[in-house]
Amino acid sequence: MQLREPSRRVSPRARLMWATTAALEAVLLVAVVAVAGPVSGWLPLPWWLVVLLGVVAAAYVVVMPVWRYRVHRWEVTDTAVYTQTGWWVRERRIAPMSRIQTVDHGEGAVARLFGLATVTVTTASAAGALEIVGLERDGALALAEQLAVRADTVPGDAT
Amino acid sequence: MSEPSGEWQRLDPRMLLVLPVRELVRFLPVLLAIFVAGTASGRTDWWHGLGIAIPVGLGLLRYLTTFFRITATRVELRRGLLNRHLLSTPLDRVRTVDLTASPTHRVLGLTTVRIGTGTASTDDEDHLDLDGLPVERARELRAELLHLATADAAAGTTPERDDRLVVRFDPAWVRFAPFTSTGLALAAGAVGVAVQAVNTLGGFQRLDTQGLAEDASGWSVWLALPLALVGLLVVVTALAVGGYVVTNWAFSLTHAGPEGHGAWHLRRGLLTTRETSLDDERVSGVRLAQPLGLRVARGARVSAIVTGLDREESGSALLAPPCPRAVATDVAAEVLRTDAPLSAALVDHGPAARRRRYTRALVPTAVVVAAVAVLVGLDLLPGWWLVVVVLLPAAVLLAGDRAAALGHALVDGHLVARSGSLDRRHEALATRGVIGWNLRASWFQRRAGLTTLVATTAGGPQAVTVLDVPLDVAVALAHDAQPDLVSQFLDGPPLVSPETIATAT
Repeated sequence: MQLREPSRRVSPRARLMWATTAALEAVLLVAVVAVAGPVSGWLPLPWWLVVLLGVVAAAYVVVMPVWRYRVHRWEVTDTAVYTQTGWWVRERRIAPMSRIQTVDHGEGAVARLFGLATVTVTTASAAGALEIVGLERDGALALAEQLAVRADTVPGDAT
Repeated sequence: MSEPSGEWQRLDPRMLLVLPVRELVRFLPVLLAIFVAGTASGRTDWWHGLGIAIPVGLGLLRYLTTFFRITATRVELRRGLLNRHLLSTPLDRVRTVDLTASPTHRVLGLTTVRIGTGTASTDDEDHLDLDGLPVERARELRAELLHLATADAAAGTTPERDDRLVVRFDPAWVRFAPFTSTGLALAAGAVGVAVQAVNTLGGFQRLDTQGLAEDASGWSVWLALPLALVGLLVVVTALAVGGYVVTNWAFSLTHAGPEGHGAWHLRRGLLTTRETSLDDERVSGVRLAQPLGLRVARGARVSAIVTGLDREESGSALLAPPCPRAVATDVAAEVLRTDAPLSAALVDHGPAARRRRYTRALVPTAVVVAAVAVLVGLDLLPGWWLVVVVLLPAAVLLAGDRAAALGHALVDGHLVARSGSLDRRHEALATRGVIGWNLRASWFQRRAGLTTLVATTAGGPQAVTVLDVPLDVAVALAHDAQPDLVSQFLDGPPLVSPETIATAT
């Protein structure tokens, strides 16, 4: 018995968003190691190690967003929310509509540059939050609205 | 009963004896400072009496300004003279009622009632504590708040006075204390406090290291080391036994009210007694914990997976302290109202999952051992470092034990999972308590065809984890537990698994 993938992909621009975030992090890390290390002398690394680190970071910036975009999917049915996230570690999460406690719409600084948003659905369990990253902003607002209405119509205290 | 009258009432007047003393203790550093200053100057001024009068006055004020009332719909607590504070909660949000009695409270026949609403707040001010009610009154209040009394009335029976006793503390259980990690934790804490105290007093500067080293050189290592070890063992054991007795003395688990709609009452403590109540409807599973030490001693402890309990209070859901395994499984079966989940044979996770236990234990160990070997070979480390080789057989044993632990089942409406070696856990969670499923697999796991299935829940540990099951088995398990939810996401046409047919017929 197998689960199928959730039916909907996130916005293709999410790749750019992830790449931008990763590139910022990579540049910062390499800069710290390459500049701060030799200048202050607290991190004496040979030059080839710094170059190696740069290559690994560049590979991460190129590969991770593409891989992540292929994995990230989501689906909302009448009774449940189903997401698939991650890249190296892949995680599928299913939450019944009747157990949804909060629906959260968030836009990070980088996400705003690309007109994207994140919808987070939480249940009463700390281990069960579902996050859909990289949705088109308008679509995300509509989805959050729709989920909140549907979760409201199901009775119970969601525990 | 006088409770639901809706009148504001004060706490028990006997608290007038407790509160001023408590404030005095809180002011103790100030009192000491005044006392020292007074002796140093050689005379006593009238205002030195304020040091005692102010705390006593504060204690009296605290009593005079604290009121509570229970109306038909709400519990309310009002306190404070200048900073007025009103806490109010609807009756149907009350999830737990704990009775805690410190030694002072016990002498006076009082107890503190803490009304738990499952709040995530950790601020003490936000807790509904009725500090100081007579014990009898507190118990009545508890029955009322947890709807035990009303449930009895609805069933047309008189409220049962004597609750059904499920398990009572047996002093012989103390033998399990040395096999828990409590002693080590207490010893580490004591050492930490001692070091800090010595450090603050500047003891380390005055320490005569030279003299110590000379004294020690008179001792043989072969004599000193075993002596030190034995001494440590004795101290840790004594602390473990002491901690166990203080916390768990007079432990008892009783059930009150009708089966399935009543509540479990837990009582324990040597000096400060604690009584906790868990609504039947909120207990959705149990966890049988058998850390390595307890397993060697053939013991176990049981806690309940309770939905809606405050996270910081998760410890209070302990259903049985370290005790014989048979007792622990009996308690678990009583609480689940079926013994099937914990006695059922578990489904094996297969060779790939077992192999993964070995690779995960052996690969990092082998890397460490190889690194040490290289460093010793290069003369960068002394030769005795090679003792790390013993880690390899230890890793094999650990992996073997972890592999043997793996298992899961779906029995009698409960999802059962077992895993771990040093912290062996055997958990059973009612499928009605499952509020979501996570299937998580790293690239390595996917290559081995495995996935980790997590059933999330609102209670206790927040989730029950089925470690490293073959992917199709994980999906089938989630599907059989909650077919309505999972079937819509299955690949291909909806299938009916053999297990579903078996349970349906």
